[in-house]
Amino acid sequence: MALRTEPAPARSSEPVNRTPAAKRGSGRRHDRDEVAGYVFLSPWLLGLMGVTAIPMLLSLYLSFTNYDVLSPLSEVEFVGWANYRRMFTSDPSYLHSVRVTLSFALIAVPLKLATALGVALLLNRAFRGVGVFRGLFYLPSLLGGSVALAIVWVNVFNREGAFNSLLAVFGIEGAPWVNDPRFALETLMVLAIWQFGAPMVIFLAGLKQVPLELYEAASVDGAGAWRKFFHVTLPMLSPVIFFNLVLETINGFQGFTSAFVLSNGTGGPVDATLMYTLNLYLTGFTELEMGYASAMAWVFLVAIALITTLLFATGRFWVHYSDAEDR
Amino acid sequence: MRLASTEVATRTTRDHRTRYPAGRLGRGLLAAALALPLMLGAAACGKDGGTTTDPNAPVELSFFWWGGEARAKLTEDALALYTKKHPNVTFKKTWQANQGYFDKLATLTAGGAAPDIFQIDDNFLTEYAARNVTLDLKPYQDKGKLDLSKFPPSLAQYGVVDGKLAGVAFGENTQGLVYNKTLLQKHSLPDPTTGMSWADFISWAENVSKTTKVPGTMDPSADYKAFWLWLRQQGKDLYKGNQLGFTEQDVTAWFDLWKGARARGATPTPDVIHEGNATDISKQLVVTGKAATSWVWANQMPELKKSTKDELGVIAYPGDPTAQWARASMYFSVFRNSPHKDVAVDVVNFLANDLEAGKVLGTERGLPSNLDIRRTVADSVTDTSMKLSIQIETELGTKFGPSPQVPLKGHSKVRSELIKAAEEVQFGRQTPAASAAAFFAACKAAIGT
Repeated sequence: MALRTEPAPARSSEPVNRTPAAKRGSGRRHDRDEVAGYVFLSPWLLGLMGVTAIPMLLSLYLSFTNYDVLSPLSEVEFVGWANYRRMFTSDPSYLHSVRVTLSFALIAVPLKLATALGVALLLNRAFRGVGVFRGLFYLPSLLGGSVALAIVWVNVFNREGAFNSLLAVFGIEGAPWVNDPRFALETLMVLAIWQFGAPMVIFLAGLKQVPLELYEAASVDGAGAWRKFFHVTLPMLSPVIFFNLVLETINGFQGFTSAFVLSNGTGGPVDATLMYTLNLYLTGFTELEMGYASAMAWVFLVAIALITTLLFATGRFWVHYSDAEDR
Repeated sequence: MRLASTEVATRTTRDHRTRYPAGRLGRGLLAAALALPLMLGAAACGKDGGTTTDPNAPVELSFFWWGGEARAKLTEDALALYTKKHPNVTFKKTWQANQGYFDKLATLTAGGAAPDIFQIDDNFLTEYAARNVTLDLKPYQDKGKLDLSKFPPSLAQYGVVDGKLAGVAFGENTQGLVYNKTLLQKHSLPDPTTGMSWADFISWAENVSKTTKVPGTMDPSADYKAFWLWLRQQGKDLYKGNQLGFTEQDVTAWFDLWKGARARGATPTPDVIHEGNATDISKQLVVTGKAATSWVWANQMPELKKSTKDELGVIAYPGDPTAQWARASMYFSVFRNSPHKDVAVDVVNFLANDLEAGKVLGTERGLPSNLDIRRTVADSVTDTSMKLSIQIETELGTKFGPSPQVPLKGHSKVRSELIKAAEEVQFGRQTPAASAAAFFAACKAAIGT
């Protein structure tokens, strides 16, 4: 996006500048290239500073204050670490939201990746209409973040919903899934897993890159389908699996839209779907405790960074980068 | 965001090492998204509301309210009347459902871009007034530019917070128990009546459930206004001074009352109650057909009627009706930093006191605050559901007890905690006593005692 917004004149003037620069020697040329590089980067840099970095720093500051949204920023009071202490000592709903989010991410993410890989393996064969199937399986992810889909989900999984009608055909009496605290979070998980299209497409791309001669060699050595999968496909695919794992884990922790829509913005029933981000939103915007909410956001940032680091640390043991790929 | 990452990844998988640190940075920045409006807000706060000297200079006022379509239509018509009289004044009208309204208002305020005129209720009036978001209208009242002389004194007084007039009460309402008349008639069941005891009402509801197979009443144990009224009938209150006006035992008794009703089949299953706990009027069980009665404010009748073909009736909540009170259903406030304060106050004055505007607005926000207009509207109204709500409110008006104090800061948290605690009991995850204890502790934390 940054490149697209780059003004045209800067680009057209470049060839003119390059000629004299080349004459003056390579050292200066290098400097000039660097400058040009930053000039080209500037729209993105400005965006990063204005939209991301500065507000982030401000929120870091606010996390140590009692900022309440309505009062002007000049009137906030510094409260030290009180917001951070409160999170871990006297806020049961905060700890509850941590539990909800962890169980969501720990269950939904592996299942989603497994589903995505399974379907990718099926769709990696050549048969008539495979393109149509790939499209169809990807479709739910296109709708993924949308509010409409979450609304549909509510209607499919409530007491009179389509899912219970389906169960009734088999003589099973369903529960009011979305409106029952025992199942509401699980319903959200199913929604997340169903949207496996994005990792699936990445897996498909990864599968296509596995050299066929490896399979041929394995066949010559007498390996069966399972062996080929475990000893050729999985190792070759491990960088892609790793990539998907990291992205989906982060995604999983940040789940908001579906929980918000499903619970009518409350995290209910009985806080069953009170995801971390939803709790943060409610604290900041409904209870107007923006300072406290900022502190939550920072703890969240650090937690996700830690989890990602942990994934990277384990990655060394199971992710294989083949030389063939490192051109 | 998901599409973008897919695109990057499919292009080539080999360079993913360099990709995800960026992803991590880019994603963890929820804080950034939260803080951005604040920045802009800080910048925008600098400008102060000047007053226009030329009375005919074009002015555009932003006007923000929550409500349904019925309200939108009436409000737009009333504002059009003002523009007709003052062609230089136009309005930028924004409205939405109650759900999310206050989140948006808070964000706009933080950004220094609060609407010139906005609707607010007593759940938030104290919060906004205490933080000086609202313009003090007292000087305007003193100068005769805002006329509250035709208001019942209690209603005018309602908008006063810490000696400042923070909002103009727009409509008087009271609790109303709305029931499905058509359903009862079909099964030749008696209508509930004002003054029924809680026990009688629950028996009545149990009977309705058994006869019609539709639960007799929504379970109001999560509903703060029902709880509040019930407390007042026990000689207690929601708040007293800056303290809670009830004890843990009161909450336990309240939860027990409805646990008993549930056991007798008077109320729906917990998941249906959960649906009914949503604030949207269109989701109230009496109009979705999932219960025979719903606990609402009497002025919500016209909007409820829009969502059902059945005939609806309305009475007071059970118990002694003198515990009910004339509540300011909502207020209009003017943003303190509005660039056109004087015009904005004039618009509020017009909506409150102009007879034509009053006729247009009817009782959709509650009985008109201006008593002259209230009489005229009562005589001329044609909308049957409005007629009904006028009837019940005038009838109850003779019995009203004294109004309680305006809720404390932290009231919205108290409301959401009550929903949580009541649902814990409804779903059978907590005993009434345990849930009441948790609720009581959360309330104390919320109001800061």
